[in-house]
Amino acid sequence: MRDPLLKRIPREIKSEAGKYTVIFLFMVALIGVASGYFIADASLKAAYDDSFVTYNIEDGFLEFPEKPDSSIIEACEEEDIKLYDNTFKDEPCSDGSTVRLFRIREEVNRVCLLDGSLPSAENEIALDRLYMKSNDLSQGDTIELDGYDFKITGIIALPDYSALYRNVTDFMFDTEKFGVSVVDKAGFDRVGDGYIHYSYSWKYDDPPEEIFGKEAKDRGDELLKALAGKAPLTNFVPTCRNSSIKFAGNDLGHDRIMMLVMLDMLIVIVAFVFAVTTSNTITKEANVIGTLRASGYTKGEMVRHYLAAPVIVLLIASVIGNILGYTLLKKVMADMYLGSYSIVSYKTLWNADAFIDTTVIPLLILLAINIIMLTSKLSLSPLKFIRRDLKRRQRKKAFKLNTKIPIMTRYRLRVLFQNIPGYLTIFVGIFFASVIMLFSQLFEPLLDKFSEDSINSMIAQNTYILKAPVPTEDEDAEKFAAGELRIVRGDFSESVSLYGIASDSDYFHSDIKDDTVEVSSAYADKYHLKAGDSITLTDEYGSEDYTFEISGVYDYPSTLVVFMDIDYFNRTFDLEDEYFSGYFSDRELSDIDEKYIASVVTEDEVTKTSRQLKRSMGNMMSIFVVLGITVIVLVVYLLSKVMIEKNVQSISVTKILGYEPREISGIYIRTTTIVTILSFLLCIPLESAALDALWRGMMMQYPGWLAPDIPLSAYVKTIGMGVVTYLVTTLLLKRKINKIPMDEALKNTE
Amino acid sequence: MFIEISDIKKSFGEGESHVEVLKGISFELEKGEFCMLLGPSGSGKSTLLNIIGGIDRPDSGSISIGGERTADMNEKALTRYRRKHLGYIFQMYNLIPNLNIKENVEVGAYLSDDPLDVDDILKTLGLYEHRHKLPNQLSGGQQQRTAIGRAIVKNPDILLCDEPTGALDYNTSKEILKLIETVNQKYGSTVIMVTHNDAIKSMADRVVKLRDGVIRKNELNTAKVAAEDLEW
Repeated sequence: MRDPLLKRIPREIKSEAGKYTVIFLFMVALIGVASGYFIADASLKAAYDDSFVTYNIEDGFLEFPEKPDSSIIEACEEEDIKLYDNTFKDEPCSDGSTVRLFRIREEVNRVCLLDGSLPSAENEIALDRLYMKSNDLSQGDTIELDGYDFKITGIIALPDYSALYRNVTDFMFDTEKFGVSVVDKAGFDRVGDGYIHYSYSWKYDDPPEEIFGKEAKDRGDELLKALAGKAPLTNFVPTCRNSSIKFAGNDLGHDRIMMLVMLDMLIVIVAFVFAVTTSNTITKEANVIGTLRASGYTKGEMVRHYLAAPVIVLLIASVIGNILGYTLLKKVMADMYLGSYSIVSYKTLWNADAFIDTTVIPLLILLAINIIMLTSKLSLSPLKFIRRDLKRRQRKKAFKLNTKIPIMTRYRLRVLFQNIPGYLTIFVGIFFASVIMLFSQLFEPLLDKFSEDSINSMIAQNTYILKAPVPTEDEDAEKFAAGELRIVRGDFSESVSLYGIASDSDYFHSDIKDDTVEVSSAYADKYHLKAGDSITLTDEYGSEDYTFEISGVYDYPSTLVVFMDIDYFNRTFDLEDEYFSGYFSDRELSDIDEKYIASVVTEDEVTKTSRQLKRSMGNMMSIFVVLGITVIVLVVYLLSKVMIEKNVQSISVTKILGYEPREISGIYIRTTTIVTILSFLLCIPLESAALDALWRGMMMQYPGWLAPDIPLSAYVKTIGMGVVTYLVTTLLLKRKINKIPMDEALKNTE
Repeated sequence: MFIEISDIKKSFGEGESHVEVLKGISFELEKGEFCMLLGPSGSGKSTLLNIIGGIDRPDSGSISIGGERTADMNEKALTRYRRKHLGYIFQMYNLIPNLNIKENVEVGAYLSDDPLDVDDILKTLGLYEHRHKLPNQLSGGQQQRTAIGRAIVKNPDILLCDEPTGALDYNTSKEILKLIETVNQKYGSTVIMVTHNDAIKSMADRVVKLRDGVIRKNELNTAKVAAEDLEW
């Protein structure tokens, strides 16, 4: 015979419809978001990985100063490579941005047409999706490039521009200011009387096994040496060094751990909410449980019975969450990546890990916490349940309170002491919610500060990085040498810029001791460095180590940089005494040919990072706010509801005695209000420390550094949003108290 | 008359489950009178007490206390009415479990502008030494004494007692009845007590017997017996 208690389960869910609906919706949203994220992340990563074959991504590109004749091409191809013409022009758009024009690629770096059609007339263009989005352009719109109008016929992604870096040496890409496009031959010839980039992609006849591995780097170095004598080159970038291709791939999957930790933390809170509310149900049903246990029902059967409703709710929420994850939310999550990267079209892939992370692990967390609670709670004897004597240790006396304290205050304190576990869960819930909301409030001010710091700490108004050391007549210009090494920490590595500064520099305001270096404050902050420490850096593929002694920290909070004297720089890297690779200048240098300039770091350039991150992360931050608010509603409402339910009899009595609704709310809700507001305030140092640790931990996984200086406004906004959410929640609680009937006290139960 | 109850009718449920619990109850009480509402289970005595106590409303009829008609009062006024005039004693005590004994009495005192001294009450009730204990640390009789303390500390005009000895043994019941008698005599509160125990009716000034929602007998008790001398 089927267990007749099973029939109670749907009734239990129905009778607690409010509680189960709130938790259910929260879990659907949480699991939906997490599942959507995991699926989008994995599907996009697969699309990115496949794009190397599907779209035949180049093994590298090089650029000639002028159109190469066939003999140069043939000479190059003698080095076991094949070259493909990928000539482009950078044309100014009427809105101030730059669009890079390619002809339609047929063989290498083939075009991924996302919508519409490829251009077939000289006045047609197919534009990168992300650039179009950043500039509010649609198919059918007209864009003016270098004075010529082009009609947008198609939306594309170019596989060699998944991150829209204008130059591979740029700090960051900026999808609003730079985009790529394809036009037909007539369209290409139509515009531009300026500089043409004779860029050629190469493919090895026998490609290296790993496109980003050491072999690829060595092959690139060998090829460069081999080509150096055969053709003049103005640019040479193997794909393993091309940020436009590799950056998106590195970033995909980076936030997975963060999402997983957030999901599991929130599931722990939900599991505790279930544990506290189920514990309350057991108290209410004590004599029934006692009778059933006395009749022969085992403890295991009772545990399973009370576990059933939470498990059913979680499983249904997982199914619906996953359906939403695979459909609606996958798109939302993918859009966050697609807000930063111009990834080729992708297919949704079934993801077993996502299922485990969003269904199996939450179920195990829920089971673990609730089985411990239920086993402990149900281990009392049947007689104790029948007598409703559920306390393991009976207190002989109440906690003593000074009788000079007014009775209403003492009453509130008693309610507080009675509900310590509930209030502790509220405190923990508020802590998590505050961390989540503070995180969302932190991002924008941090980026603004980063932007401000980047501008304030610029060594010069213009930093010219040259492809070759060319002279300038401008007296404002000061030579420097620049290079890049890597900081290696376990599996993680990131690049650090090295600047060799002139001894009597007008731009760098510190005297660096001989044969020592100064590190930027960002570097020192991230890696806890100080004067007297030494650092060991490695070249990009770990073949050579360089150890430097730090003699000081230079106030440069935005980037990881090592500063040293230019002579020391040249000696360290076996360069000629007079070697330099760029100029600092507060004025624009007009006498350097554009073809020798690799990049110019200007104010616009250094603020690109924060602009782009704001655009990329905006959606994500709103999700954090919604999650935080939901956690507050969930935890405060459900646990306060439990406290009210525990005291139904007392509330009913106070009503009969003649207490007014505001006085009753004053006893039962004001206590929660005080605890909630105190929790928000007491959480400040904790969340500050937690966020600092979390942020530092997170930033350690990313290249670069954004110091976690939490502004006061972020706390104010977080507490403000939290308190407003709570006050709205109290309206529901007041309604619940008002609805408690007076005849509750007249029932002959104790 | 201090309390005038006229033609109170009350029914519950609809259709086939419709039950008429009170079918037109009328009687009057003098100030300070001790009235016993007697009747078997389901006779409507507790419903009548709830209506007098302003925690339930009649379908028709009216109750007037000191000239104020409860039918004319809204929820707020009814709350004020209970606060100012009534003390309630329940069968199952209904003490607030997380407050100690003294605090439970203080919860009653808080409602009055002119409460009696809490410590005096506790001493009178023999609870002073237990004042820091929680209700569940006391016996049923002690808990009921606390409930009486909570009811009388605000010096109410009317004390409503719903089967106050229903859960107690003989000796404890007698002790509680003596206390209620004392309250009635010492503080002059009008007492309305619901019981199904016929044996205790003799301690009241008036006995109103209900059966099936109607008054079967309403008589003044001319042979009043002290609670001490009751036997059952």
